[in-house]
Amino acid sequence: MNDTGSLVTLAPDSSGPAPTGERWIRFAKPARWIAIAGAVGVLAAPFMAWAYRPDALDDVSFWGEPSPLQWFAFALGLLLLGCLVAPFVIKPRPGRRPRRLLAFNRGAKAAASGSLVYFAVASAAIVLELGGLVALEPGAWAGLAGALVATVATRALPEGHDPRLQFLNTPAWGQILGIVGAVALVLFAAAYGLGQDGASTFVTFGVLCGVGVYVAARVGVMGWLSAAAARNRRALVLAAFAVAFLFPMTQDGSDANMSIAVGVLIFAATAMGLNIVVGLAGLLDLGYIAFLGAGAFTAAILSRSAFATLGWSPPFPVVVLISGTVAAILGLIIGSPTLRVSGDYLAIVTLAFGEIFRITMNNLDGVDGPNLTRGSNGIPAIPDLELFGFDFGESHMILGVQIGRFANYYWLMLLVLALIILVFTNLNHSRIGRGWVAIREDERAAEAMGVNVFGLKLLAFAGGAFLAGIAGAVKAHVDVSVTPDQYIFMESAFLVAGIVLGGMGTVGGVLIGASILKLLPEKLRFFEDYRLLMFGVLLVVMMRFRPEGLMPDERRQLEFHADDDELAEEIGENIEAHVIPSLAGAPEPDLKGDDA
Amino acid sequence: MKRHLAAGVSGLLLVSLALTGCGQRNAPAAPSGGGEGKKVATIGVIAPLSGGLSAMGNGIRNSVELAVRQANETNAVPGWQFKFVAEDDQGSPDPGRNAATKLVADKTVVGVVGPLNSSVGQAMQPVFESAGIPLISPANTNPSLTRGADLANPVRPYKTYFRTCTTDDVQGPFAAKYLLDEGIKEVATIHDKKTYGQGLVAAFTEAFTKGGGTIVSAETINPDDKDFSAVISKVKATNPTLVYYGGEFPQAAPLSQQMKAAGLGVPLMGGDGIFDPNYIDLAGSASANDLATTVGAPAESLPSAAAFVTAYEAAGFSGGYGAYGIQAYDAGTALIEGLKVSLKDATDVESARAATVKAVGAVDFAGASGRVAFDEFGDNKTRTLTVFHVADGVWKAVRTEDFK
Amino acid sequence: MDLFAQQLVNGLSLGALYALIAVGYTVVYGIVQLINFAHGEVFMVGAFGAYTTWILMGSPSHLSPGFAFGVVMPAMLLGGVVAAVGTALLMERFAYRPLRGAPRLAPLISAIGLSIALQEAVRLFYGRIPGFPDSRRAIPFPVIDGFTGRSWQVAGVTIQYSTAFTLIALLVCTTLLWWFVNRTRMGRAMQATSQDPDTSRLMGINVDRAIATAFAVGAALAAVAGMAHGLRYNNIDFQMGFMAGMKAFTAAVLGGIGNVNGAVVGGLVLGVVEAMATTYIPGQFGSSAWKDVWAFALLILVLVFRPQGLLGAKAVDRA
Repeated sequence: MNDTGSLVTLAPDSSGPAPTGERWIRFAKPARWIAIAGAVGVLAAPFMAWAYRPDALDDVSFWGEPSPLQWFAFALGLLLLGCLVAPFVIKPRPGRRPRRLLAFNRGAKAAASGSLVYFAVASAAIVLELGGLVALEPGAWAGLAGALVATVATRALPEGHDPRLQFLNTPAWGQILGIVGAVALVLFAAAYGLGQDGASTFVTFGVLCGVGVYVAARVGVMGWLSAAAARNRRALVLAAFAVAFLFPMTQDGSDANMSIAVGVLIFAATAMGLNIVVGLAGLLDLGYIAFLGAGAFTAAILSRSAFATLGWSPPFPVVVLISGTVAAILGLIIGSPTLRVSGDYLAIVTLAFGEIFRITMNNLDGVDGPNLTRGSNGIPAIPDLELFGFDFGESHMILGVQIGRFANYYWLMLLVLALIILVFTNLNHSRIGRGWVAIREDERAAEAMGVNVFGLKLLAFAGGAFLAGIAGAVKAHVDVSVTPDQYIFMESAFLVAGIVLGGMGTVGGVLIGASILKLLPEKLRFFEDYRLLMFGVLLVVMMRFRPEGLMPDERRQLEFHADDDELAEEIGENIEAHVIPSLAGAPEPDLKGDDA
Repeated sequence: MKRHLAAGVSGLLLVSLALTGCGQRNAPAAPSGGGEGKKVATIGVIAPLSGGLSAMGNGIRNSVELAVRQANETNAVPGWQFKFVAEDDQGSPDPGRNAATKLVADKTVVGVVGPLNSSVGQAMQPVFESAGIPLISPANTNPSLTRGADLANPVRPYKTYFRTCTTDDVQGPFAAKYLLDEGIKEVATIHDKKTYGQGLVAAFTEAFTKGGGTIVSAETINPDDKDFSAVISKVKATNPTLVYYGGEFPQAAPLSQQMKAAGLGVPLMGGDGIFDPNYIDLAGSASANDLATTVGAPAESLPSAAAFVTAYEAAGFSGGYGAYGIQAYDAGTALIEGLKVSLKDATDVESARAATVKAVGAVDFAGASGRVAFDEFGDNKTRTLTVFHVADGVWKAVRTEDFK
Repeated sequence: MDLFAQQLVNGLSLGALYALIAVGYTVVYGIVQLINFAHGEVFMVGAFGAYTTWILMGSPSHLSPGFAFGVVMPAMLLGGVVAAVGTALLMERFAYRPLRGAPRLAPLISAIGLSIALQEAVRLFYGRIPGFPDSRRAIPFPVIDGFTGRSWQVAGVTIQYSTAFTLIALLVCTTLLWWFVNRTRMGRAMQATSQDPDTSRLMGINVDRAIATAFAVGAALAAVAGMAHGLRYNNIDFQMGFMAGMKAFTAAVLGGIGNVNGAVVGGLVLGVVEAMATTYIPGQFGSSAWKDVWAFALLILVLVFRPQGLLGAKAVDRA
C-alpha cells in the first residue's frame, strides 16, 4: 500500500495488475470496445450544449461551437480514444521483442477516470451556478455517461507493463525540444488559468491540468520528461526561467495578476531560505517571518520615505546587502541556542523569537523604546526603486507590450529568486549541504564523523535568514509600507506549510507550495471565510496521507514511509534509472540490443 | 491509499465548488443584462470581508452597496448604470494591495470606497494615485494618511485619497475639552499601541495637559491580552478620577470590567472605537457611566442618519452596518455626487477619472452623518462630535458640538 | 508594599490559569513526546462548552447563590469538560495516533493545522446554531450573581472571588491528578508508557488507551481553566486559546516539560514574572507592552541554560 503514482509523482507505478483488474481480465476484449464507445460519447459531448444559460463556466450553451473548456474535454476524449486504439495500431514487429514504450492501458484508465472527474466538476459547477440539475443540457449528460462507461470498462483492462519510454535513446536535441515544449505548455496553462475570472472556470481548468499531468504520468510521458530533465538540467532551468521571464508579456498590460505573482515570488524566495533551515538541516523554525520582516524594516528605514527614521538612504544594492546582513545577524542570534537546544524545543525557541521580533518592532516607536520603526504605524510611503535609470514605478513599453509597476518588480524578484535557487542548489550539492543532511539524519553520528554540527547549524540559520532578508528588502518597496502586523506567527506557519505542502528540501516543491498557498486564495475568492479553515484541515490531511509533500525529495519520502519496502525498492530503482544511465551515457542494457 | 487520496481531492473540489455556488458571483452578466443601452461605471469596495474584522468590513460593503442601489434606482447620473464590486483585503496590506491592483485594472472602475485599516490604506494609496482613481476611506483615522509625515507642516501625499471619518487628532482634544469642562483634572491613559489608540491618546494627552489637566499615569496594553490586572493595579496606585482608553471595544470592555472588579471604580472613556452596543454587552454592568466620543451628531437627533438606518434595515442585508456603516454610506454618496458632475458628459470611464477626482474633492452635501465636504488635504470638513455615556445599558448622548 | 502584594496576587491568579493549561502540555509530552500545539484550542473549546451548557439550561440569570453554586456552575464545568475531553480524544484518535512513529515534524505540523482548523470552525459555525450568539467576536460569559465582580479586601489587597476560584481549582485538580497518576491502575500504566512504550505493550498495558487518557486528563484540566477564564474575564472568544496556549507551553517548559509539578511551578512563576515586569522594570522597557518579551526571553534563557527546566524534565534527552 503506497500512494505513489497519484497526481504528481513522476515514478512509474510498481508492476503487477490490481486485484480487481485480474478478476475481470477475461472481459478485456469486449471492455475495450465498450470503452471506445464511451470515448466516442466524450468526443461528441463538446459539440453539444452543456448548460441551459450562458453564464456558467465560459459559456457552454452553444450547439456545434465548443468553448475553450469544451475543446479541452475534446482533447481529453482524443487522448482516451488514442490510448484505447493504440494497441491495434502499434504491433511489435515480428521476431522482435515488444518495445513497450508507453503504457496505453494505464493511460486509458487514467484518461477515462480523468474525464469523469472533469465532467463531474464541470457539471457540478453548472448545476451550482445555474441552480439545479435542469440546467444541464444533453452535452453534459453525454460526456458524463461516456466518461462513466469508459471508466467502468477500462477497469477490466489489464494493468499491463511498465512504460519504458524513459529508457529510449533520444537524441539530445529531442530531449531539449521536449523540455521546451513542456515548459511552454506550462506557460500557456498558467497564462490561460490566470486569465479566468470566474472561480468555477478556474477550478475546472485546474482540474483539467491535474488530469493532464496524471494521464501523462500513467502513460509514461512524464517518466521520459523527468529523465530528460535529469540529463539536461541546464536546459530545463534556462527554459523555466525564460518562460517565467516571458510571463508578464502574456498579461496584456494588466497588472492584476502580476501583483499576485510578485507576492508568490516573495513568498517562494522566503520559503526557499526556510527550506535550507528546515528541509536541509532539519531544524524547524516557527518564527521565520521575522527574517523577512527584518529585511523589510531595514530597507524601509534606509529608504527615502519621509517616514524613515534614520535619514540615511544608501543606494539600493547597498540596502539589499545591509538588509540581508541584518537578517543574517538575527539568524545567528536565533540560531545560537541550537548549541544546547534541539528538536521540539528549538521550534518553540524560534516561535518565541518570532513573537519577540514582532512585539519589539511594535514597541520601537519612541514611547516604549527608541523611535526606529514608528511602532504599529510602520513606515509608509516607501518610494519606488530606481536602478540604473530604470524607474520601477513607471509603466514601460517593452516589445510592444505595456509592462506595469508590478511586472517590473516581478522581474526583479525573478532575478532575486534565481540567485537564491542558485545558492540553494549549489549548497545542497556541496560539502556543506551533505553536512546538513547528515545533521538532519543523525546529529550524533554526524558529529562523530567530524561534521562541525554547531557551525553548520548556525550557517543554515544565517544563510537562510540572509536570503529572506534580501526578499524582505524588495518586499518593502513592492508593498510601499512596512508594518509589524504583517509579520505575525500565522505567516510563519504559512511558510512552513508552503514547504511541507510542496515537499521539503526540493526547489520545485517550494515553488509549487508557494504558488498554491499564495495563488489559490487570490483566485478562489469564494474561499473568503473558509480559507483558513481549509488551510488547517489541509495541513492535517496532508500529514496523515502524504507527509512528504506533493513533490518530495526521494530520500525524504522514504523517511516518511520507513516500513514500506516496495517504495524503497522503487526509489532505489528510480535512482538507478535516473542516475546510472546518465552517468554511463547509455540507455538501459535491455533495450540496447533492440535498438542497435 | 491512492484511492483515498483521489477521493479526498475530488471531495475537496466538490466542497469548494459548493461554496462557489452559494457565495460570490455578484451579477455576472451585468454588462449585457443591466440597463438598456446605459454605460456602465463600477464602484468598488475594499474592506476586510473575512477574518476578525469582517463584521465591520461587511457593514462597510453593505452600506456602500445601499448607496449604489439607491443611485441606480433614482437614476442619479442619466445614461449611466452603476455596478458594484466588493473585494476582500483580509484586514492586511498584502491582499489589500492585490485587491487594489485588481480593481484598478478594471477599466470601468470609477472610484473605490475603503479600506478599514490605516495600514491597509497606506499600502493602497500609491496604486490608486498612479491610476488616478479616487479612494475614499470611511475609517482610516491616522492623520499622516492625508497630511504626510510631518504633521506640523502638512503636505498632502496622495491627491486621490479622501476620507469621511475624522482623524484621531480631533476626537482626542474634544474628549479633553469635555473632561476639563466637567472639572476632571486627573486622568490615567491606557492604549493598545495600535495606530488608532496610540494616536488618540497622544492627541488627548497634549490637549488635556495644555488645558491644565494632569496625566497621572500613562500605560499600554497588548491587544492580544485578556488579563489587565497588572496594569490596573499599577494605575490604581496613582488614584485617577477617570481612565482614558485608546483602542477598540474588544479590549476596552474587559478592561472596564476588570477595572471595576479590581476596585478601581472610575469611569472609562474612549473614542468611537468603543462606541458599540457590544461594548456594553461585554462589559456588563461595569460599563455604567463609561464615556465615548463619536464623530457626527447622534443618529436619533439627525433625521438623515435615521433615514439611512431605516433604508439599511429595509434592504435586507445580513449583518448590521457596523461602526463605520454611516461613514461608508457617506463615502459612497460622495463618490456618486462627484460622478454626477464628472460623468455627465463623459464618453467612457477612463477619460473621466481625472475629472472624477476633482469633482469628489469639491462635493458638498448633507450626508447621513451630517454635512460632507473635503478640505485641501482630503479630510472631511465637518467636525461635529458627540459625547455619549452608558446609562441603563445603552449609549445616551450627553453633549453634541461643532469642534473648533 | 500594597502594590507588591497586589501584583503578587494578580500574578499568582494569572499563573494558576497558565498552570492549569500547562499540565495538559506536560502530561501529553511526558507520555508521547508530542507538543500538542492545539491544546490551547482545547482550552477554548472547554470555555465554549461551559457556555453552551449555560445556554442549553435556558440561559438562567439572577439566580440564588445556592442554585448558582450548587447546580449551574458545576453543570457548566461538566459541560466544558465533556466538550474539551471529546475534542482532545477525537484529535488524538484521528490526527495524532496515525502519525505515531512518523518523523517529529509531522505531528507538530498536524497540530498547527488542528489549532487553526479548530479556531476557524468555532468562529464560522458556532454562531450559526440557532439561538447561539455570533461567535466571530467575543461572547459575554454568564454573570453569576454573588460571584462575578465580587472581591474581598485583605489588608489593602483586592482578592477577587474568581481569583480564589482559579487557585482552589488548581489545588484540587493537581491533587486529584497526583492521586490518579500514582494511585490508580491507569495512572501507573501511563507512567510505564511514558518510560518505555514498547516494553509496556509487552507487559500487557494498553498503550493506546494510556495515551488517550493522558490527552483526556489534560483536556479536563484545560476545561477547568476555560471555565475559570470565563468567570474571571467575563468573555470568551475563538482566539482566546492561542496566546494562552503559548504562555502555558512556556510555563510547562519553564518548569520542566513532562513534570506535572514543574508545570504548576512554571505557570505560577510566569504569571508573577509578567505582573512584576509590568510594575518593577523601570523606564521605557517596563511598560506592559514588553511583558510578553520578558516572558519569552525567560523561556529562551531557561532553555539555553537549563534545558531540563526549573524542576527538571522527565526526558531531557528528548529535548
